[in-house]
Amino acid sequence: MFDWTSLAMWTIPGGPLLAAVLGAALSRSKHREFASWLAVGGIGAALICALGFLWHFSQGGQAVAAGYTWISLGSLQVQVDLHIDSMTAIMLATVTSVSFLIAVYSRGYMHGDPGYARFFAEISLFVFSMCMLVMAGNFLLMFVFWEGVGLCSYLLIGFWYEKPEASAAAKKAFVVNRIGDFGFLIAMFLIWRTFDSLDFRTVFDHELLASVAADQPGTLVAICSLLFLGAMGKSAQFPLHVWLPDAMEGPTPVSALIHAATMVTAGVYLVARCTPIFVLAPEVQLVMAGIGCFTAVLAALIALTQFDLKRVLAYSTVSQLGFMFLALGCAGFSPELASFAVTAAMFHLFTHAFFKALLFLGAGSVMHGMGNVIDMRKFGGLRRVMPVTHWTFLCGAGALAGVPLLAGFWSKDEILAVVAAGFHHKVYSLYAMFLFGVALFTAMLTAFYTFRAYYLTFWGDVRIPPEAGHHAHESPPTMTYPLIVLAVAAVFIGLVAGPTGAFANYLLHTPGLAHGSEHGLNWIVMAASVVVALAGVWIATAMYKRPSGAPQRVARLAGSMADLSANRFYLDELYGLLIVRPLEGLAWLCVWFDRTVIDPVLDIVAAVPSWIGMGLRPMQNGLTTRYVLGMAVGMIVLLWVMLASL
Amino acid sequence: MTPTLLNYLIVGSMLFGLGTLGFLTRRNLILMVLSAELMLHGVSLNLVAFSRHYGHYDGQAFTVFVLTVAACEAGISLALILTLYRRHKTLDVHVWHSLGESSPSEDQVHGPRSMEPPAEPEPELPKLVPTGRVPTLDSEERVTHV
Amino acid sequence: MYYLPIFLGCVAIVVALTATSRTRRVLGAFLGLGALVSAAMIWFSPSTVLVDNVLFLTFAGVAIGASGCMVTSRDPVYAALWFALVTLSVCGLFVIQSAPFLAAATTIVYAGAIIVTFLFVIMLARQAGKADYDRRSNQPLLAGCIAFVLLGAMLVYLDNGHVRLPSDNGTAERMTRLLPIPVGIEANPLSRPAADESFGTMRGLGRSLFGDYLYAVELAGTLLLLAAIAAIAISPKRAGGTI
Repeated sequence: MFDWTSLAMWTIPGGPLLAAVLGAALSRSKHREFASWLAVGGIGAALICALGFLWHFSQGGQAVAAGYTWISLGSLQVQVDLHIDSMTAIMLATVTSVSFLIAVYSRGYMHGDPGYARFFAEISLFVFSMCMLVMAGNFLLMFVFWEGVGLCSYLLIGFWYEKPEASAAAKKAFVVNRIGDFGFLIAMFLIWRTFDSLDFRTVFDHELLASVAADQPGTLVAICSLLFLGAMGKSAQFPLHVWLPDAMEGPTPVSALIHAATMVTAGVYLVARCTPIFVLAPEVQLVMAGIGCFTAVLAALIALTQFDLKRVLAYSTVSQLGFMFLALGCAGFSPELASFAVTAAMFHLFTHAFFKALLFLGAGSVMHGMGNVIDMRKFGGLRRVMPVTHWTFLCGAGALAGVPLLAGFWSKDEILAVVAAGFHHKVYSLYAMFLFGVALFTAMLTAFYTFRAYYLTFWGDVRIPPEAGHHAHESPPTMTYPLIVLAVAAVFIGLVAGPTGAFANYLLHTPGLAHGSEHGLNWIVMAASVVVALAGVWIATAMYKRPSGAPQRVARLAGSMADLSANRFYLDELYGLLIVRPLEGLAWLCVWFDRTVIDPVLDIVAAVPSWIGMGLRPMQNGLTTRYVLGMAVGMIVLLWVMLASL
Repeated sequence: MTPTLLNYLIVGSMLFGLGTLGFLTRRNLILMVLSAELMLHGVSLNLVAFSRHYGHYDGQAFTVFVLTVAACEAGISLALILTLYRRHKTLDVHVWHSLGESSPSEDQVHGPRSMEPPAEPEPELPKLVPTGRVPTLDSEERVTHV
Repeated sequence: MYYLPIFLGCVAIVVALTATSRTRRVLGAFLGLGALVSAAMIWFSPSTVLVDNVLFLTFAGVAIGASGCMVTSRDPVYAALWFALVTLSVCGLFVIQSAPFLAAATTIVYAGAIIVTFLFVIMLARQAGKADYDRRSNQPLLAGCIAFVLLGAMLVYLDNGHVRLPSDNGTAERMTRLLPIPVGIEANPLSRPAADESFGTMRGLGRSLFGDYLYAVELAGTLLLLAAIAAIAISPKRAGGTI
């Protein structure tokens, strides 16, 4: 009997991979337009299979598609297998559906670009890597595709590689990610040394974990810290968040897909997947909560004063990722909270993917109409010019801001509820309250900057930059339809999956997640959340709906704070001063040493044969008699030797 | 080794030595070939003397071959010399030294050349549509905030 | 004392080569004569038959003296003629060494064919007056020294072999090591003169050439043919009576 399950599982990464290979092969032919259909088809096939598995596992369960043994080295056995359980199914559904919509959208957005086929090949390659990442059954395979998505991210940020900013941003992303990958790698070594296996099922075994926790708790802390370092790099947490805003140099669909919806959530997925280990290291989880919270508020503060629409969204992404880590970290308050925390984080990841992709695609639509201008000071009042973009962007902004009943409201509310559950902790109760306060403040900031961007873009007098030319109109249908679908998702998906408990029930079928105590809706938290969200929206409306002097007055009032925010707290400059400059100095020293010490030595070594050659050169003067002379001398020497031997 | 043999060997080696001397000192191509023939005489004399000494015809047979080779050599060398003569109208052997090393040029004498690699030509990049706002990390955003 | 002939010969040749006047050429000639005489006195080991000694000394002296003249001659025509004299003297030595056929063949091939051809070419390639490359030799001092050091080395080698060979077994062993003679193999039986026959007949040489050396003789014939073809192919095409 044919194994249809296996085939479907291999289709999920296989379809995009095939599209990537064929698309790359097409990139120099005259049929390069066809590459977009390949990508849409490949990702569409993966989407159908992923949705099938989402439905298939609604009552729990898991499936494994056997591949082959990649490494067999003593006790180290690495299988290239595909694993699907509930958490993977959710991730797959999220990734494939968002990337499918974005691929459709890109057909319009990237139209006419010389790198058209390359773009779709790389997008497909990314989807392949991401699917393999979430379906990996062991740490090593996960790491390989962790690097794979990093590579795709690098390629796509630097898509317009002849633009210096783009290639610089790509390099920056790659280098910063490397720090995190280093952590992941060391963690993997430690895991192999401690558990003698890299397989998830072996490592997450309760009895093995318990014995290791009893014997060497320090190792577990180290593993968790290093894994979190890896997650920090990929998910842009402070202090490794600096690459994500610069990554906006890539095409907007890339920002939407990789740097908002999918790849940056790989860190969250990693920590969620490794919950069984993290539960045993509550210290790390509490630190994680602190870092997540700090990242959230820091990014939100920076987002307040940015004028680049895409950068505002990028900082909001950093901020929302901080929320997810905050939720995950709150499992440290009590082991029973773990399932709840993971549910909250994954739910936020799920909803965030949809509404953030929507917001980015909306921003892309604005860019498309405005002749690639993205500075919010240069355009305004677009709600009549681009009605579809306006309405869909409003849905996304509402969801992000946490307007009641929209997607972001439910997921953010769950995160706040998780933090609030930490109030009962005996020692860290105050810490939990502090985190809760900051998170609430951040939620208000989120609502404010989201609607600031919305008003600056779509309200006020109609202003259109000269670059737009005659393009200043609504985007073509291939771009607006994905926007509409995502808008519908942003509005309803939270309501469908959140309060009904559908998402939580689904996710808790994941092996390794214990069924914790049921947490109902926390009405107080919800009320607070509603209040801050609406307050943020109201302030933004008051300040930005009509042009007024209010923003300038507030900025003067805030003084240096506004300055700090506008300059991203000078973090880039700080890194430049503390890390880049010393390294540059070292490089300069090396260059100097190379030029003044090594080069002359090498030159001398190279000159010696030349000198010898110059000494021997006169012998080879082409005169026959000279050669005969040499022969005669040789004969004398020969005779002399024979005489001596007599 | 009988005294007679030694006498002939001495004469043979003297002829050989004088032939070498002639080959070394003469510049006329024809005389150089003649000097080579003189050396062959020395060798032939050796062979004949040994042949007599051992009472064996091998040495004389060898001398016949030496004679053959000498005849071939003379024919071909004269043809070559004539060809060379038609080129330069001279028989001077010093005219023919094109196989020699040319004299070292300036940079070879003065050692390694400059350390800098030669500048590569600017690559021609494709022109794509401009995208997004070109971010100026320093000036624009830092100055204005609303 | 032992190296006196070599030294004298070297000086004689160098003087003759570098001579700018008739006087110095005569001086060179005398020095050469002295070298020859001293060589005869020092190295010549006479045999019991007087005629042999006289003939040998005459032919050897003429051969060496003529070759010296040939090497130092400034006129290529004279040099070629001196070379003919050397050839004739060597042929005389061949006759003494029981090789009449070789003497005849060498005379015919060299004097009759080679030297005539050479002279013909010299005449054809002759320029007005004596050419510079004939008048000025190439590094006479250095070349002379090297050539005579080579000659001295060869003579010392011969002398050592001569002095030590007769009774000294150890030295004989070393000589054998230097010039090994195959033991127990009767090499080229046809090259030995027959029992009822004296050494040096045409018949014996012919048997050797067309017996033991048949293939080599055929090869030598082919070589001559090829050389003739090659000489025709190489030699330049003549145009209008020029060379």
